[in-house]
Amino acid sequence: MSRPTLVRLIVIVAILVVWESVRELNLIGPLLLASPSEIGAAFAKSWPQFLTAFQITLVEIVAALAIALVLGVSVGLIAGSTVFMSMVSGPLLVSLFAVPLVTWYPLFMVWFGIGGASKIAYGVVSGFFPVAINTMNGIRNFDQQYVMYGRAIGCSPLQIVARILFPLALPSIIAGLRIGVALVIIGVIVAEMLGSLRGIGYLITSYRNLYEIGSVYLGILLSVLCALLANLGLSALERHFTRWREMQMTQ
Amino acid sequence: MYFVASQSMLKARVIITQIAVIVAILAAWESAVDAHWIAADILPPPSTVMVTLGGLLRSMDFLANAGDTLVRVLAAFAIGAPLALLVGFIMGENITIGKSFSPIFNLVLAVPQSIFLPIFALVFGLGFTEKLMFGITHVFFVVAVSTMAAVHQVSHAHVIAARSFGATRLRIWLSIYLPAMAPHVITGLRVGMIFNIIGILLAEMYASQSGLGMLLLRWSESYEVNQLMAATIFISVVTILINEAMRLWEAGVGRWQSARMAE
Amino acid sequence: MTKPTVIETRKVTKTYNVNAAPVPALVDISFAAEENSFVSLVGPSGCGKSTLLQILAGLIPSSSGEVLVDGMPVRKPMPDKIAVVFQDATLLPWKTVIQNIEFPLEVQKVPPRERRECARAMLSLVGLSDFAERYPHELSGGMRQRVSIARGLAQNPRIILMDEPFGALDEQTRLKMGNELLHIWSRTNKTIFLITHSLTEALFLSDTVLVMSQRPGRIVDVIKTALPRPRTYDMIGSREFGEARNRIWELIGGDEPTAAERVGL
Repeated sequence: MSRPTLVRLIVIVAILVVWESVRELNLIGPLLLASPSEIGAAFAKSWPQFLTAFQITLVEIVAALAIALVLGVSVGLIAGSTVFMSMVSGPLLVSLFAVPLVTWYPLFMVWFGIGGASKIAYGVVSGFFPVAINTMNGIRNFDQQYVMYGRAIGCSPLQIVARILFPLALPSIIAGLRIGVALVIIGVIVAEMLGSLRGIGYLITSYRNLYEIGSVYLGILLSVLCALLANLGLSALERHFTRWREMQMTQ
Repeated sequence: MYFVASQSMLKARVIITQIAVIVAILAAWESAVDAHWIAADILPPPSTVMVTLGGLLRSMDFLANAGDTLVRVLAAFAIGAPLALLVGFIMGENITIGKSFSPIFNLVLAVPQSIFLPIFALVFGLGFTEKLMFGITHVFFVVAVSTMAAVHQVSHAHVIAARSFGATRLRIWLSIYLPAMAPHVITGLRVGMIFNIIGILLAEMYASQSGLGMLLLRWSESYEVNQLMAATIFISVVTILINEAMRLWEAGVGRWQSARMAE
Repeated sequence: MTKPTVIETRKVTKTYNVNAAPVPALVDISFAAEENSFVSLVGPSGCGKSTLLQILAGLIPSSSGEVLVDGMPVRKPMPDKIAVVFQDATLLPWKTVIQNIEFPLEVQKVPPRERRECARAMLSLVGLSDFAERYPHELSGGMRQRVSIARGLAQNPRIILMDEPFGALDEQTRLKMGNELLHIWSRTNKTIFLITHSLTEALFLSDTVLVMSQRPGRIVDVIKTALPRPRTYDMIGSREFGEARNRIWELIGGDEPTAAERVGL
């Protein structure tokens, strides 16, 4: 085991120990902080509820991701297809991305109800921008000669987009997906916290109302882990696809 | 290969196209509702939105709530930003501290902080403090990390050169550190402000007696679509304006950067 | 015995409209190249060489005048007749070498087995058979350009247009690649139209050198290189070579006043 990893491991263990003892010694009250053991107890007690809730939330997340991916890539490919298009769409997309999307959720609740649809809609909007912007940039950041070559050998516009631009943009698309996936996961769960009858977010909120602190922390911990794992997984995917590109750029 | 008379011609074409796109969308929206393709009580047309917004901006209730939100946003920024600048600077200058703590900061930034709201509600209750603290953390981490990166941007060679000329610490700070760091720090501040706004509004939506977020949720529950739409668009537009203003500042400060990068 | 003309341009002109004022890029380009010939185009930077190549390839339209390939007007890309090789090989980085060569055939809907056979043949022609399953990033610049040429040959075109194909290579590789190209050319007997800013390269490789002026580009001279084939390096040092070089140099560089002249010295 390398030195930095060892240090980090020690730090993590130390944090856990301090965390546990802070609660043991009641330095921070039970209504504010849950110790690792309390979180463990909550898990042992409530894991069936969490599992059921997670299944519901997972469906919403996957649906939102899929739609965000399709929409984002399509818009990104079109927005990046010519220099002029990207000069027009780029700033528009980036400016829109600054909008606090959470403020649109109440509107979504009016339009789509309090069920899964509004969560999916919110998830889609959350994940859309990073994917679209990254796709667009992915196409922009290479030589226009690829498009010229495609035309010279007789590719139709659709073929150019699908067989040349899309593979070229793929590493960037995955990067955008990596950024977007955390936004979608947390977005969906937060939306559930704001108004929902089911799902992890709803579970977290109801446990908070019941002052079951251990379960609240557990729910948040699970959500964070979910986002981090997704991020890690996509990072690995991104590295896999970026290999040929990095090499190419350095030549 | 493209022949363009000048950069400004191209820029003008771009801006005109962008405006045209926005106008086209608004026009399509207006006529879609006009032609009853979309019900006005689900998606109010731009004309109704403008009228409603006008009314809201004259209503004391709305202004009071907007004021509350503004106070929270500014307070959180006023506390969080300087603190983060200081911490970020220390982390940038001191390698040990930087290496020890930056992984934690980066980990926090890897996950949208919205998820931690229930914890803030538990620890701080549901009042002003909770929202303030929530906003502060939103500002803090991103500004600290940006500032740390900004410090790393400062050219060591320049600092050494300046010292060899006998420049005082203050001088070095003003003429080398500040210009090199400024663009990155401002970027951090800009993103921090955006995160801050998101955080405060979310906290207000979650549980609050006052504020724009609270209004949004209230109108959503009572199906007052006109007000909801007007307020949502208002918030979006204001945030975009803040973002663009800070971006202009960022760009202005960073103008010399590209020349420097070419070294 | 006159060979058939493969490509011909008649008074091709390209004018761009900028701010409602016309900016001429190419003026009255007329030339013809016959089968199996090697034609080069030299000119100073910015004179419109690449624009001309794009017009020849059918990628952009001319403002007036015609381009004819095998007697047929070129209005859009004609991949079965015209192949293009760019300065940066522009190989698709996610495809292997052999897949890259097959790609233009795929687009033309050539069946898989034929594609594979043709691609293998072209690859061996450029001497890179061992590298079929490698990826572009694993090859050197010169090798990538060879794959790009193989890719162009796979289209079985009448003419191959090359836009400064060796521009990105170092001097030594450039000379070697030039020789390689002549070797490939002699074995395939295609017509080659090569754009370059290197006078040496143009004179060494071609039968005919078209000399283009500064912008707006027009053809100011056509030089027939009388050197025998196969060409060898020592020809570069010969007197005729030097004279031809100087002549071209004056034609394209001579007009430009030096800094001293401009000041009035």
